[in-house]
Amino acid sequence: MSGGNLIVMEKRPITLHINGCDIDVLIEPRKLLSDVIREDARLTGTHVGCEHGVCGACTILIDGRPQRSCLTFAIQAQGKTLSTIEGVVGEDGGYTALQQAMHEEHGLQCGFCTPGIIVTFEAYLKNNPDPTEDEIRDVLSGNLCRCTGYQNIIRAIKKAAAMIRVDVGGA
Amino acid sequence: MLNKTAFSSIGKRQPRSEDYRLLTGRGRYIDDIDISGALHACFVRSPYAHARILSIDGADAEDLPGVVGVFTGNDLSQWTTKLRMAPPIEGVKPLEMTTLPIDKVLFHGDLVACIVAEDRYLAEDAMELVDIDYEPLPPITDMFKALEDDSFLIDETLGTNLISQQSFATPDVHRIMSNGDKVIESTFSEHRQTHLPIETRGIIAQWDAGCEHLTVHVGNQATHPYRSALAARLRISESQLTVISPDVGGGFGQKIALYREELTVAALARYLNQPVRWREDRMENLMAASHAREDWVRTRTVVEADGRLKAMSLEIVEDFGGYCFYPANYLARVIAMILSGPYKLQHYAYDVKVVLTNKCGNGPMRAPMAITSWIMDGTIDNIARELGMDPVEVRRINMIREDEFPYQMATGETLEDINPFETMEKGLALIGYEKLRKQQKADQEQGIYRGIGICNVVESTTYGSKFYKSAGIPGSGHEAAWVRVEPSGAIIASVGISATGQGYETAFAQTVAEGLGVNAEDVSVQLGNTDVAPYGMGSRGARGGTAGGGTAYLAGQDAQKKVLAIAAKMLGLNTDEQLSMKGGKVWRRLDEDWSDTKLTLADVARIAYLDPTNLPQGMEPGIQIHKTYDPPSMTYSNSTHFCQVVVDVKTGAVCIERYLIVENCGTVINPLIVEGQQHGATIMGLSGTLFEQVIYDENGQNLTGSLADYLIPTATEVPDLEIVHMNTANKRTPAGIKGMAEGGVMGAIGALSNSVSDALLPFGIVIDKHPISPNVLRTLLREKE
Repeated sequence: MSGGNLIVMEKRPITLHINGCDIDVLIEPRKLLSDVIREDARLTGTHVGCEHGVCGACTILIDGRPQRSCLTFAIQAQGKTLSTIEGVVGEDGGYTALQQAMHEEHGLQCGFCTPGIIVTFEAYLKNNPDPTEDEIRDVLSGNLCRCTGYQNIIRAIKKAAAMIRVDVGGA
Repeated sequence: MLNKTAFSSIGKRQPRSEDYRLLTGRGRYIDDIDISGALHACFVRSPYAHARILSIDGADAEDLPGVVGVFTGNDLSQWTTKLRMAPPIEGVKPLEMTTLPIDKVLFHGDLVACIVAEDRYLAEDAMELVDIDYEPLPPITDMFKALEDDSFLIDETLGTNLISQQSFATPDVHRIMSNGDKVIESTFSEHRQTHLPIETRGIIAQWDAGCEHLTVHVGNQATHPYRSALAARLRISESQLTVISPDVGGGFGQKIALYREELTVAALARYLNQPVRWREDRMENLMAASHAREDWVRTRTVVEADGRLKAMSLEIVEDFGGYCFYPANYLARVIAMILSGPYKLQHYAYDVKVVLTNKCGNGPMRAPMAITSWIMDGTIDNIARELGMDPVEVRRINMIREDEFPYQMATGETLEDINPFETMEKGLALIGYEKLRKQQKADQEQGIYRGIGICNVVESTTYGSKFYKSAGIPGSGHEAAWVRVEPSGAIIASVGISATGQGYETAFAQTVAEGLGVNAEDVSVQLGNTDVAPYGMGSRGARGGTAGGGTAYLAGQDAQKKVLAIAAKMLGLNTDEQLSMKGGKVWRRLDEDWSDTKLTLADVARIAYLDPTNLPQGMEPGIQIHKTYDPPSMTYSNSTHFCQVVVDVKTGAVCIERYLIVENCGTVINPLIVEGQQHGATIMGLSGTLFEQVIYDENGQNLTGSLADYLIPTATEVPDLEIVHMNTANKRTPAGIKGMAEGGVMGAIGALSNSVSDALLPFGIVIDKHPISPNVLRTLLREKE
């Protein structure tokens, strides 16, 4: 039997810095970051849609950049700053401009892909407050949505960008 | 002022109440639910398309620390019954399947064994250690070969691979077809596709040994029929089973049936007396959840010189895969029954064959009858080409006009309350059809190949029990709802329909609110739990609006009746005829004016529950309404889709320049949600036509097991859709609701295919199969060069 040489991995203690908190977990080195965030840190807003890096549902920010948490081992994420959908909170604890616009423009249906999209564009709009529609489509192409046909998501992102510009301009 | 005729909640463009939890990462999908001590299941699957299972040795896997057990078809047969699919339908052969295959596997990815372990990683490790001996059998991957006399059989007990066949003919059709007129033949074929919800399937099963009660969390569109099926297969009572469908990451028809994996997990949770959970991975979902479509269709038509249809025959051959989770006639026969759609046709025949092959079993996918409108409008385009007429003229001359409704189709189905001529003419005006044709001609001379595709859709939306019966499909079309006003005036409602993203919590709150005369935001809608919701038939087709929203509306109305009767007594009136609820308050009419009586729903509810001696004579305490409703045989919506493309003949790329839909979907409950459904459906149709394809090679190996192989569009590949509404109410349904959400798929397939054929008319190319990929188009063009 070829499987006779399977080795059960030792669990190791690691600390992840997620949404401003240090979270200690005991995990096998082979465990995916997406699974550790969901199962060990119990932050289940990050969704797993394909586990091969295509659908984008598991997107989180690693040191400020959107990345697939299903393509990373948790053990590689030690010492990095991680941010998930649970860390996306507007002033006074309500919606951010993007969440508000997604709500108003019906930019989500089943909602499974939504956290990946929100996380991606919270970061993107920070650095690109005035994107063209083509630029939005290009960035959004990393997130698959099967419900909406994307039209309302794009509309929402444009609206959010405008809201953010007004906010920044007025400040 | 209170206007009693206009709707106040129905029709409101109200953002969804579901959104908050979903936008903030607080949704609760199957895999988010934490059940302590739950074991994890995973499945060993067949590497062969067709093989006998000679032996399964799980001993090494069971030796792995953390593995609880390896379970086979023989194990499961002790705890579960077989599925016997033997509906009393003429022409459908009975079929049986065990919970897990015992002797034979029928497709690449078919189930062989189930491993249960302490975590998912361990369970997958153990998969490598299960030793299985197979005897490969000849794979049958082509439905036409499957029909040949000497074909190997998928199921030896049937004696044939033809699992279902139904025919129909009006008395004169064959005589008219064979009297010497030229017969115009058209063919159409859809390739195999799959639903691809972004959340895969999954289940958690918990057995409470003390209460002898099983609770399953499963993403499912129709929780009560699912509970009936699961209870029967486990040989327990429906009263011993709770099915909870929480937030669900998309269904599109994939999450209706009780699947074998789910049944296995439920049986093992009971056997092991420990919670067991399973999360499907993406490869399993693409290869082995459920597939859809894959058919070949031919129409034969004879027409008058002016393009008027005289008679038509239809043949459908559908590849159903290896297993029937639905009666095999379930999908294709509806196409045949409603084919003629908005066109007048009285001499008609059909023959529908459904064939078993070594592929994943088929099921309904958003618009199971999706090909219908392409077949009909594609046939009309072929007639126009044959006669040298403008395709719009052929549509006009055949179309059922306003004064001809209700119109009885050759199959006996009745169309009413639709306006296909009006939606088409409106769209033609909006796109500037005549001018566009001139532009097309001028562009052609410059080597720009622009095409205009039109597809008129008559969408069968809500299937009543009567239609199921006449289509030979077992089941009911009824729906159920309850509305409760609690002592504080809080309003809770439920419907037997579970959501997979459609915004039912918001939309049903609006219809309850309309019926009861309260604000929608004050109605809490609780769905997806069989202990809470009444027994309904679930979310499928486009029945959510009419059956779900409609039943909830009726229950709301009944609740208002009771509230007003109590209010009349409280106000010292002899009758409640001059009373009405609005905004949660009781209003009274004096002459023509309505005035606020200052009585609120809470005041009335308090009497109903806490002071019942003050209720009108003979009235039962409380305000708890339960309502069931069976919609008409069928409700129809209609639309016209216009697709304008440019085909780059050098690369085979199709660019959609403009996409316009003129829609009549009846009373709209929430325009925001309806538009979202129309977007989603239309893009799914375009996607299936351009990109998606499940590919099996000649050995039955599935080559599309990842999202790098099975393609759906991203935001860079989709057009913006323009939608114009010309809605008219259905006169028979509550609030005039018709339903929608599948017609977009139907229209998109037809409009896009017809537009590419139109663009390539100078090359004599007619699109008769999908996907219309650059490769396919270049191959067709090369043949003509």
